[in-house]
Amino acid sequence: MMSRRLLLKLAMLACCTLTLSGCWDNRDINHRSLPVVMGISREDSKYKVFLDIPQTSDDGTRSMLVTRTGQTITEVVDEISSNMETRVDLLHLKVIIFERKYAEEGLIDSISSFMRSREISAKAMVAICDEDLGTFFSKLQKNSSSDQTVLYNFFEKNAGWSPSVAVTRTWEIFRSIHSYTRDIAIPLIKSGKSTVIENVGAAIIREGRMVGQITADETLLMNAFDEESAHGKIEVMNHASVLIVSNSMKHHVALKDGDPYMRSQINLKVSVLETRGEPSVDMIKDELETLLTQRFNKMFKNIQRHEADILGVGQYFRTRIPRNKLAHWRTEYLPRLKIDLDVKTTIQNEGNLKTVRDASIK
Amino acid sequence: MRLADRICNRFEHDGDFIIEEHILAGRPVRIMGFKSLINLPKTWANLQSRVREASLDFSRDPDSALIVLNRLGHRISEPDEAALLAVMTAGDLIIFYEDPDTYLDVVPIPVTLTRSIEQPLNENVLQGSASAFNDDLATNFGLLKKELNSASLCTKVYLSGNHSPRKLALLYLEDQVEPNLLHEVTERLEANKNRDLYNLQRICKALGFQPWKAVPKFYTTELPMEAAHALRQGRIVLFMDRFPFAMILPALVGDIFMMENDRNYPILFMYLIRGLRIAGIMINLIMPGLYVALVSVNPEVLRIELALSIAESRSGVPYPAFVETLLLLVVLELIIVASVRLPKSIGPTLTVVGGIILGQAVVEAKLVSSLLIIILAATTIANSAVVGFQNSLPIRLFKYLTLILASLFGVLGILSGLVIICAYLASATTYGIPYLYFIKPKDDSHDG
Repeated sequence: MMSRRLLLKLAMLACCTLTLSGCWDNRDINHRSLPVVMGISREDSKYKVFLDIPQTSDDGTRSMLVTRTGQTITEVVDEISSNMETRVDLLHLKVIIFERKYAEEGLIDSISSFMRSREISAKAMVAICDEDLGTFFSKLQKNSSSDQTVLYNFFEKNAGWSPSVAVTRTWEIFRSIHSYTRDIAIPLIKSGKSTVIENVGAAIIREGRMVGQITADETLLMNAFDEESAHGKIEVMNHASVLIVSNSMKHHVALKDGDPYMRSQINLKVSVLETRGEPSVDMIKDELETLLTQRFNKMFKNIQRHEADILGVGQYFRTRIPRNKLAHWRTEYLPRLKIDLDVKTTIQNEGNLKTVRDASIK
Repeated sequence: MRLADRICNRFEHDGDFIIEEHILAGRPVRIMGFKSLINLPKTWANLQSRVREASLDFSRDPDSALIVLNRLGHRISEPDEAALLAVMTAGDLIIFYEDPDTYLDVVPIPVTLTRSIEQPLNENVLQGSASAFNDDLATNFGLLKKELNSASLCTKVYLSGNHSPRKLALLYLEDQVEPNLLHEVTERLEANKNRDLYNLQRICKALGFQPWKAVPKFYTTELPMEAAHALRQGRIVLFMDRFPFAMILPALVGDIFMMENDRNYPILFMYLIRGLRIAGIMINLIMPGLYVALVSVNPEVLRIELALSIAESRSGVPYPAFVETLLLLVVLELIIVASVRLPKSIGPTLTVVGGIILGQAVVEAKLVSSLLIIILAATTIANSAVVGFQNSLPIRLFKYLTLILASLFGVLGILSGLVIICAYLASATTYGIPYLYFIKPKDDSHDG
């Protein structure tokens, strides 16, 4: 008797799980198209979407480029999906590329719809293309037919990323749109002549709109400012080039008569890679420090002019400025911000050759 | 008609039955028994030498002959057909003489119907005593007593059943055993004395266990070392005649991955080996489900490179991942079930056909993906990592639960499957001792 009731319960449970689980919507991985790269441009108030879909076949994987225009991005993706033999699943979307023109018009709508979407990962990386998306994708297609993850690997920390490339994820842009004190830089790329992709620098984004750009060298400094380990970057000067081994930052902030003031110290540990002539250690240090200070000041003026806080220095003032005034950080405080950058370099080693010597020792 | 003649008539056509007339101690006697159970020449010689040792002259003193005869065995007090049959089927010899009519139950020299002590057949021992339990109850006692030389080892023997009585033995260490456990088991065995207990299911029923539980109630082992360890832990060991295993009661979760024999290795390797066994259990439970979950429900968890290569290996496979996995799992189960019964000479053929030809062909015919073959091979190998064959059975069953849940709910389903399994294991108890209980030996001979 007891077991019959148990059996009934089990049967009920099985029926419920089968009918309520929605398992009939599960699609096997070989019936899904998993685009890795999505490109978005805007033509006459219509979106043009590029999807780079890796296709598997017996002779390895090839990638397929699908393009379509429509009123909304989801509509375009849906249409592409209905025209393909598999369902387009944006789960594996790794890189989203906006055309520069569209980025200058403002990305707020797209970014918030990506954040809202359950399919697109908030970790997807965002880049801005400095040329026409059509030509960019056709070149990408031509040069990387065997490897579909070129663009993804370009930004991947354990693959092809280098410190002069900014890495920005969708959620960071969303955060910058809604934050008083933090803007963001999005990497700016275009198709290269000999390599597949060329790093142009980074776009300055202010409240979701691209307002200016910084160079690749300045991007390196920005990454160093975020302690995004500046490993492996070569810094060319008149006399030598060095490898930044590690960097750390120290900040001191204050409000002086309502004006924000910041004293920052970058500690760089470098190792000498190349020398031209016979520069001494002190010379290399001095040159590096002046070069970096100049470069930083130039970049910072640029930022202040665009009123876009891509370094996120406003974060350090959040405890010092009342919230109602903080809303005007970009317009009122940032342009008045005085920043003293102190670059301290330690030459950790000179590589395998001990030829660079202090003048005194010589 | 006399009783002896009646029995004679009854076994007229029985080739095994023997009834002979002899002179023993100067008196005519009849001996009765089964040839297959009694070594007759030796028994007879033994009986004669015992009579001779009395060195009496029976022709002068007929009473002394009676005394000597009665000493040969014990008298069956109320001889009837059933009583005599019971004595004979148990393998004893009956001596019958007249004036007065007496039936003697004599313990003969038996025919050896048991293999000698051998290496364990179901589990191999790498470092440790290699003698395994045997079909014979007394041999098993002896092995265990050799292994556990202790005065507090108690043995209770029961003769259960009316139809075909069978000996059951219950062993425990007086000073270690859980009193409650002992009480429950002895009480139930006493109460079910009339039942014929000749297999584990019947014993389980007699001991009052629920029959449909997936968790084994006994930990059966062939190794005296394991049985002795269980006794030291305060558990009870049951032996059944003609059953070459010790049944350790209650079975605990530790039996799945802990063996006493592990302690013959350095402690580091003991823990590593046990860790591997646990990993084997987890792999067995999770892997098939994980494959289905990642391939059909949650492909976003995979790295893109892996996702693409899996998609490539699955291109052209007609079935959904769940059906594909289930199909191959059933084939694998069939191989296991089939190879258990097969003679040793045919077994390898089956392995070749099943493992190589079937596996290769099924991939080449694009019925399943090559990745699945790898996963199921790993699962099957991992299944054998646990201690004891009876412990691998529930794990084999439980993996289907995770598989089904994974096909419905993906990675979350695997997690909920594991939770359900844990809850089920936690709910299992034997006489109030939870299945998930870890016993520490009460003597301090163990550390770690």
